[in-house]
Amino acid sequence: MNPVLEVKDLVYTHRVKRSIFKPIDEFILGPIDFVLNAGETLAITGHNGSGKTLLAKSLVGAITPQQGNILLEGKEAEQSDKKTRNHDIRLILQHSKYSLNPAVTVGAILNQTLLLNTELNEQDRRTKIAQTLVKVGLLREHYYFYRHMLSDGQQQRVSLARAMILDPKVIVADEPFAALDPSVRSQTVNLILDIQQELGMAFVFISQNLGIVRHISDKVMIMDKGKVIEAGATQDVFKEPQHELTKKLIDSHFSLVDKHFEQF
Amino acid sequence: MHIWLEFKRSHFALIGFAILLLFCAIAILAPLLSPYDPNVQNTNAILLPPAWEGNGSISHIFGTDSLGRDVFSRTLYGSRATFGSSVFLVIIALTIGVALGTLAGMNKGIKSSVLNHLLDSLMAVPTLLIAIIIVAILGTGLWNSMWAIVLALIPQFVHQTRTFVREEMKKDYILLDKLDGASSPRIFWASILPGMFELLAVQSTLALSVAIIDISALGFLNLGAQSPVVELGASLSLSLEVAYSAPWLVALPGFCIFLMVLSINVVGEGLRTALRNRLIH
Amino acid sequence: MPLLEVRNLTVEIDMGSEFVKALDKVSLTVETGEIRALVGESGSGKSLIVRAIIGAVPDHWIITADRLTWKGQNLLTMTNEQRRVIMRREIAVVFQDPTSSLDPSATLRAQLEESIPEEFLDKGMFWQRNQQRREIAIGLMHKVGIKNHEACMQRYPHEIAADIAQKFMIAMALVSEPELLIADDPTRSMESTTKNQILRLLTGLNETKKLAILFVSHDLLAISGMAHSMTVLYCGQTVESGKVKHLHRRPLHPYTKALLDSAPSFQINLPPKSHLVALEGTIPTLKHLPIGCRLGPRCPNARRECVKVPEQRVVHNHSYSCHFPLHLPIDDQAENNE
Repeated sequence: MNPVLEVKDLVYTHRVKRSIFKPIDEFILGPIDFVLNAGETLAITGHNGSGKTLLAKSLVGAITPQQGNILLEGKEAEQSDKKTRNHDIRLILQHSKYSLNPAVTVGAILNQTLLLNTELNEQDRRTKIAQTLVKVGLLREHYYFYRHMLSDGQQQRVSLARAMILDPKVIVADEPFAALDPSVRSQTVNLILDIQQELGMAFVFISQNLGIVRHISDKVMIMDKGKVIEAGATQDVFKEPQHELTKKLIDSHFSLVDKHFEQF
Repeated sequence: MHIWLEFKRSHFALIGFAILLLFCAIAILAPLLSPYDPNVQNTNAILLPPAWEGNGSISHIFGTDSLGRDVFSRTLYGSRATFGSSVFLVIIALTIGVALGTLAGMNKGIKSSVLNHLLDSLMAVPTLLIAIIIVAILGTGLWNSMWAIVLALIPQFVHQTRTFVREEMKKDYILLDKLDGASSPRIFWASILPGMFELLAVQSTLALSVAIIDISALGFLNLGAQSPVVELGASLSLSLEVAYSAPWLVALPGFCIFLMVLSINVVGEGLRTALRNRLIH
Repeated sequence: MPLLEVRNLTVEIDMGSEFVKALDKVSLTVETGEIRALVGESGSGKSLIVRAIIGAVPDHWIITADRLTWKGQNLLTMTNEQRRVIMRREIAVVFQDPTSSLDPSATLRAQLEESIPEEFLDKGMFWQRNQQRREIAIGLMHKVGIKNHEACMQRYPHEIAADIAQKFMIAMALVSEPELLIADDPTRSMESTTKNQILRLLTGLNETKKLAILFVSHDLLAISGMAHSMTVLYCGQTVESGKVKHLHRRPLHPYTKALLDSAPSFQINLPPKSHLVALEGTIPTLKHLPIGCRLGPRCPNARRECVKVPEQRVVHNHSYSCHFPLHLPIDDQAENNE
């Protein structure tokens, strides 16, 4: 099976200058390695500040790593070839509220994405947008809606539509479920599972919710202070965690689950 | 549109808007509306009081001044000069200010930072003072005073635009635009400018109000429009000498200026409220 | 007598053109030493209930209730001064985002020591009182589990980690030795180890000091870990209420079941990457509230009768408001055996 996303030896150094007097803060992400096949889901989890968001941003090309290779379907994803890269691997961010421009309609946002990345004419663009809106569970009429007219769940769907509309190979999502209510979260999870099955898309998502991680991911990667401390198939890692930190995370999650089942 | 519906809810705002439209009409149609040429002197009818006073006549509705010129026509032409030139110069200041502010907001670097700080410190000086200084350099006259006020108003637009653009550039949706391959101009036109309308509307009404006061102030100080150009502030200063015997010569131009500024502020306030409330309803 | 009793609380909000019932006959009670969970999603009105209890509702909104009492005293009719005394000493509130609840310009030590009530200090001279303040502050920090208090005390709110910040907020809340702690979604956006620490701290406080807690959240995992009883809200209506174990074992209202279904960890035989059972539709906004039972449009069991608001029925301390509950609670014996 040809892997759709391959990351080798990725290193990114994040420098923050706090003040003239203090030395520059350096946060080193990596080295990171992993392989992802079509239709697979990789979950990245870990404490806040462990570098998960930096990793997500480097995968889509928002930041340039100092070292390492990112291969999309075997080909190097050059920073310069933004068009192909943007076509194949797309990003969804945590707060759908801040991912949508409040002054622009849903249709205008999606139209711009198509305009900049495809050769479709206006008529075809409208059709594609309508199709995508329906696929994510919205209505064609939502084309004319502004952000403030949509609920949280609907806004998240628009973010998903924007990512999906170019039929990418990989979607990277930074905590897509964190800001959602439980009922909306279930709907969004189902939606992503459906889309994944239909398009054969690979999905990389960051989440703190170990219940969701366990349920929808095939592989999981635990990060701490920029390094990967444990990685592997989800079932294996959850059943027999090796690293101290992983054990702690999984135990704290399951102690709550156990308390629930004790009631029965 | 939603904004208009919201705006209509306030009766004050609608009245202000009507008055504003009236001034716009005057600015365009003054030559057609005024019964006399404003500079024609009629020595037979000097210092005639307005038609509603005892010895006034209907042929001069607002009376005449010390040189026999019809005050009504002078008021119309004067409003045209004051209001029309203010609108014109606000449009120019807006365009230049937004352009500069956007460039400053989208680019980082020491050069832009220095420029920004210079412009910001200019904002501490009252616009009238800056205008007077510039007129002292350029010379008097309506056009020169207009340029002076344009230059005085630009720093505000630059500052507000720069702050807004800088904040927007940090937002996630701009990052997504960049990942989609949008160029900087495209990001400005399609993503940032639509969000700026509210800011620009508010800033423009404020600027317009300041411009009217400054133009008429310069006119009053004889630094602005010179004869034969008629301007409300200039008329005011001419009328001061005869203020006791012919108070209407001071009251009428003054009232016009007052009405212009009042209507702009009322419309501006209504616009601000409408923009704020459109998200609620 | 319960500590806090809310019965049929209705709050009508001014929407410009009309008043909308954001809370429609909501009821809950908190007994001494009990941890009650208030469960609901956005739009359920759970934060509004907290505001109604602490008295932070705008004056022109209409609040009516059969009972809204604290230790028997009617909260609706008391004066502002009386209200403030209760809020100072007997009820404490902890909010969602600890960093935004703290004064960014003061050190932690300053904020904690400042909030210690005068009544607790008994020494004479002012330097002795300051010394006493310091001791009380250190004691509180230890009680919430912040071990290296010296390092923390001199920091500013933006310099400390989220979990320490939240523990500090709890310490601030405990200063006045309250009888009820209202925690409004305190573990939101925390990962599991930190969440566990906070939950364990709250459970410990409840057991040792008999501190009653009203835990407002939609995180069912957190709730099953610590709450004794829970009240489920949907769109401003109480849909089900009772002991946590009863509701989890046999939820009677379709919405409670939907919430339980949203946590994959609660489903034992769920195959990986399969659909979660989810309700259709979205939570209605205040402008478009359905008539009758507000879950109507989304409920899989909905029938004609659901356009009338269902009455609340109680079976052995397990109350529900549904015309067609999931199980008919006929079994007295089963419920009785708890």
